[in-house]
Amino acid sequence: MGNIMSVSFAPECTDAKLEYDECFNKWYTDKFLQGKSIQNECTELWENYITCVNTALATHNIKPMLDKAQKENPFKDGKIDESKK
Amino acid sequence: MKLFESLHIFDYSWEQVTAANWQKYPNELSTHVVSVDILNREIDPVTNVLRTERLIACKQPIPSWLRALVGGDEFSYVREISEVDLAKKTLVMKSSNMTMSHLLLVNETVTYTPDSELPEGRTKFEQEAEITAFLSWSSICNRIEDWSVERFGQNATIGKKGFELVLNTLSQKLEQSEVLVKDVGTSILKEIDEVNDLTHELVNDVTVKTNSVLSQVQRLKGFWRN
Repeated sequence: MGNIMSVSFAPECTDAKLEYDECFNKWYTDKFLQGKSIQNECTELWENYITCVNTALATHNIKPMLDKAQKENPFKDGKIDESKK
Repeated sequence: MKLFESLHIFDYSWEQVTAANWQKYPNELSTHVVSVDILNREIDPVTNVLRTERLIACKQPIPSWLRALVGGDEFSYVREISEVDLAKKTLVMKSSNMTMSHLLLVNETVTYTPDSELPEGRTKFEQEAEITAFLSWSSICNRIEDWSVERFGQNATIGKKGFELVLNTLSQKLEQSEVLVKDVGTSILKEIDEVNDLTHELVNDVTVKTNSVLSQVQRLKGFWRN
């Protein structure tokens, strides 16, 4: 790909994010779009990155707003937010 | 509530567009996007739909004086949930601002689908945004009132302290000599006048600032309305 990826809101997570992004983008193009894999193959890099993000979020002032948004419109409700008015 | 809609055709396949979508930022035209994070990502075991939650930070598009007034951060944050459905060849992205959403809420939906005329080589981009402004005169005025009352309280305290100093000087001088009473009486009146002038000046200062903030808010409201 060679494209520059965007940084993380937490500078300390940017390296982990770039590694994960690289893996994901490759998987998305080479496997997912080809219908070759529905398994996300970047699990280890993901764990690394998301742990960093969650640690950074815990003390960030965005946390209460994010919690509220996730409560009103959960990620895991299986449906994109149609209810929001 | 206002609705904004736009339509665009990209001369790239749906696969290319959706792959590029993950790498959209940074780009030279969207310099307001500061960071992008993935918060959740999963594949539905039944439908194979790839679902992603992202947190996007942007530079605040509003002037700093309004930010100071309504309370806000240097950055505004947008939450986005997207779904890639490979079977239906759709990418739907829904995003809402979290910052300042009590004042202005933007719910955006972007859909990428293969163009019906040239499904292998072109992609249709549809964008829809619901914009709701909760900015009411009363809420803005309340903020200004609170701020002004606070400012006025601070200034009034300064005024009172000044007056107390004068009173203190007066009583001391009264104790020192009865002869000086007349002179002191003249000078204290002068000093009281000065304190009054100072208070008036500060009240005026608050009024001028409030008016200028109000006129700027009015202009901005007009801008949002248009």
